[in-house]
Amino acid sequence: MESLSRQKRINLLKERMLRQKRYMSIEQALITTRIYQENEEKPVIIKRALALKAALQEMEIAIEPEELIVGNRTKGVRYGVVSPESGGLWIDKELETLPTRSQDKFNVKGADIKTYREVIKPYWQGKSLEDILKDKFGEEFSAISKVAKINQTDHSQGHICPDCDLWLQMGPEQIKQQAQQKLQSENLTNKQQNFYKAIIITMDGAQIFMHRYSELLKQMAAENTQYKKNLLEMADICGFIANNAPESFHQAVQSLWFLFVILQMESNASSFSPGRMDRYLYLFYKRDIDKGSLDKEKALTIIECLWLKFNQIVYMRNTNSAKYFAGFPIGFNIAIGGLDENGNAAENDLSYMFLQAQEDLGLPQPNLSVRLNKNTSQNLLEKSIAVVAKGSGMPQFFNDEAVVDTMIESLQIAPKDALDYAIVGCVELTTQGNNLGWSDAAMFNLNKALELAMNHGKCLLTGRQMGLDIGGLDTYDSFEELENAFAGQIDYFMGKMIKACAEVEQGHMDLLPSPFLSAVIDDCMEKGLDVTAGGAHYNLSGIQIIQAANIADSMAVLYQLIYKEKRITGTEMLTALQKNFQGYPVIKAMVENKVAKYGNDVKWVDNIAVKWAQYFREKLTHYKNHRGGLYHTGMYTVSAHVPMGENVGATPDGRLAEQPLADGGMSPVYGRDAAGPTAVLQSVGRLDNNLTSNGGLLNMKFLPEFFATEQGIKKFAMFLRTFVDLKIPHIQFNVLHKEDLQEAKKNPEKYRSLTVRVAGYTAYFTELDGKLQDEIIARTQYDAV
Amino acid sequence: MKNRALIFDIRRFSMHDGAGIRTTIFFKGCPLHCIWCQNPEGIEKNARLVHFPAKCILCNYCIKLKDNAVTMENNKIIIDTSKVIDAAEYEYICPSGALRMDSKYYSSDELMTIVKKDMPFFKYGGGVTLSGGEPFFQADFIIKFLEKLQLAGIYTAVETSFFAVWEKIEQALPFIDTLFVDFKIYDNGKHKKYTNMDNILIKNNIKKVLQSKYSNKVIIRTPLIPKYTATKENLSLIAETLAKWNKNVNYELLNYNPLARAKYQHVAYDYCFVEDKPLYTQAEMNSFYSIIKEAGIKNFR
Repeated sequence: MESLSRQKRINLLKERMLRQKRYMSIEQALITTRIYQENEEKPVIIKRALALKAALQEMEIAIEPEELIVGNRTKGVRYGVVSPESGGLWIDKELETLPTRSQDKFNVKGADIKTYREVIKPYWQGKSLEDILKDKFGEEFSAISKVAKINQTDHSQGHICPDCDLWLQMGPEQIKQQAQQKLQSENLTNKQQNFYKAIIITMDGAQIFMHRYSELLKQMAAENTQYKKNLLEMADICGFIANNAPESFHQAVQSLWFLFVILQMESNASSFSPGRMDRYLYLFYKRDIDKGSLDKEKALTIIECLWLKFNQIVYMRNTNSAKYFAGFPIGFNIAIGGLDENGNAAENDLSYMFLQAQEDLGLPQPNLSVRLNKNTSQNLLEKSIAVVAKGSGMPQFFNDEAVVDTMIESLQIAPKDALDYAIVGCVELTTQGNNLGWSDAAMFNLNKALELAMNHGKCLLTGRQMGLDIGGLDTYDSFEELENAFAGQIDYFMGKMIKACAEVEQGHMDLLPSPFLSAVIDDCMEKGLDVTAGGAHYNLSGIQIIQAANIADSMAVLYQLIYKEKRITGTEMLTALQKNFQGYPVIKAMVENKVAKYGNDVKWVDNIAVKWAQYFREKLTHYKNHRGGLYHTGMYTVSAHVPMGENVGATPDGRLAEQPLADGGMSPVYGRDAAGPTAVLQSVGRLDNNLTSNGGLLNMKFLPEFFATEQGIKKFAMFLRTFVDLKIPHIQFNVLHKEDLQEAKKNPEKYRSLTVRVAGYTAYFTELDGKLQDEIIARTQYDAV
Repeated sequence: MKNRALIFDIRRFSMHDGAGIRTTIFFKGCPLHCIWCQNPEGIEKNARLVHFPAKCILCNYCIKLKDNAVTMENNKIIIDTSKVIDAAEYEYICPSGALRMDSKYYSSDELMTIVKKDMPFFKYGGGVTLSGGEPFFQADFIIKFLEKLQLAGIYTAVETSFFAVWEKIEQALPFIDTLFVDFKIYDNGKHKKYTNMDNILIKNNIKKVLQSKYSNKVIIRTPLIPKYTATKENLSLIAETLAKWNKNVNYELLNYNPLARAKYQHVAYDYCFVEDKPLYTQAEMNSFYSIIKEAGIKNFR
């Protein structure tokens, strides 16, 4: 390893990784199918455990000789793994189109198509989660889907932070022993016995898996002189951590990676998050640095090797889901900084090394988050912004001042767990190691509910009767009547949504118990209860509010133009909406230009967003989820504002039928935030924090020139300090690339708020003429990643 | 309108008009008329009704108003400003926002309400910048307003051409934390030719302020305009003179702003360049700065 510099090693591995083609893989699916067939009579949890163990024993493995962190769930990198036990239907329909679909393509080998259809599909037909839910509840779900989209219907549970600390303190051997001890307890139910047995089986598998890597490394060392030392060192590490809790930093990081690989092999789910890695790895790091067995350069190399690994597992979604969550994000979310157990600002060498790794690699994973608070050091803040300025959009920022108290107050989470919160998926908030947050239970499209309230319960796009007929814009005499009808539609769909969510949860309990995951989620081991059955200490369910910004803008228009100023009648507005504003240019111009919009620090409009989000949040508190936990809300969509928008007709805010809704979740509608970024923060700051206890997303776009100088970075640090003071839960900065600006030139309406700043001068980008826009584009130095 | 000021723009999140995150208020009216002016909509001292054809949907609502001030010829809106009785009515009636007043009157209380919205940001080092146009063109208003800002604990900055009565400047100085003063052209004849006014008053004011107890909060700026101000001769004369008046003077060169041209489609003036001039490169900026350095200026940015 002396011969290879960090940069060289990482670039070499990175290039080799990116060169590899993505394939669909049915290797594990075949193993799972065989195990299920051989063990038909056994309980599901045992079958699941045996199937995982068999995969850990049999799946082909591969190692790159330069790797300092080894392991993957398939031999090839970035393979799309098929899990027939959770989702069978869509795979069959999409085998031929996977290589050519518009989003997230995967190559498919011809032989695999045949095997899938002849061996795998016949066994799982009518047995997978997706099949069973579809057979039993398909019509029920699709009847409400344009208002309430029910998720988690075709894959296992993810969006979970395992107890990494526990895993590192114990390792698979000690966890196995603990389960064996538990199994000796008296008065265990059958279910509990099976649960402990299943854990023992999976931990066995984990140990075998690590030993297999150790053996392969030894074999490779025998044939490879150049990397012999490296390979033998790695072989030792893998062998050691199979039987022991890790001791060194390198062992700890390797052990952690195996944990995530195995979690993905068991569940093939979106997002298992390492959480606060700079906290729990620090002890290992510090001990080795103090001993002199590790230097900073080696530590950073190990970290960057791990960073590469985070990019080797991708999540193959069905075509529709890929539209909602484009770019196969797998959501390895790492949160740095934040608060320690006493509420003091926390940071250490590792926090900075993680930022450095992000800066060096510029890859989409891990999803790096910085937890900010009043006492975050200026150093960490500025370093984070400097990494953002590199243009990858990361890290994103979370706000302890907005999150910690909210978790304690509105979710009854213990203060020590709230202080230690982390992020899963994109922006979802969670406690670490003890929570099945079910953070993406459903998305509730308030804009569709408003559409139904305006149009007698009928869909504007199809004319189909979808909701209740409480009236329409042509019948309401007052704004209050309209508001009551809107509330009525929300209530109607909420009841149906809750019922559907319970049915999905029951499906997971019946079909997808997850013993390996349960072993690293507190209190499952204690209770002898699988995580899907409510074994976790916290059992939440998150519903996303879609999208308050459009609701505020639309309701503001209805209130001001129809009921206050009476410039147009309700009937005129309804007709304009039904005609998608065709033939109504004056009404379209008025709704766009004569009424204030959310995101401009205009209190009465912003408060409409708050009012309806709160109405929704409050109604949810009347329900509990199937595991007995609380429902709560998030305000984020990732990319779902596009397909969600496709379901909604024209809206009173001037948005045309089927066009996207506001992006983000807390963000204003594209281009409508004309008063600038400080006004956006003030508006967003009006959203109460309980509305985003499941996560909020504020997306802001800037020209790279804002970050170009040291001065610019300092000003963004000030901006973020105020963001912390205003108690906004989340913000991420998109530094615009050349391509974005070219797009802004073509579609100015989406980028109206984009400003160009020169001393004593301001102008909007989209109001400059083409040549001047080109001038700015030429100045924009970042190319797309 | 003594107690109110005519403002043509208010911009929150200004990043280049002083320290921190600022709100910049653009005061309408300027005694100078530089042929490169980057805010030409701020030169005229009166509020005007303007029409932005790009936004217009040709709905004809405006031409139906009783005063007949707006007419349409060949799908083009023509405004006879002298006939406008109630400009606000035009703004209200226009559904697309194509007809707009180019400026509005604000009382100092109204302005305070707006700037105070960003107090949470100013806390970390930002504040309010008065720009224009020429803020001292509405001197009595700004003196009182600056005092109010300072009383509210807001850090103040002013961007000025210094074409102003010294007594007014003197009254404002105690309430200004940073004063940006343009020194555009040294030669009086050229100054008059390109800015429409001579520079004797400006030079006198600069000399006075640089030799006053307020000198350390003054930053003299020269906007670099190809051919007109960005010449070796002009820059060294300016720099030598400044260094003579105060060897510790703070001085700054502002790179040419090619975007200035964008605004000329909405005003009755012509921009000084027909062809596009690019920004100066870092190397060119460095060589300008070496002229300044040679002339004896130490504090430059």
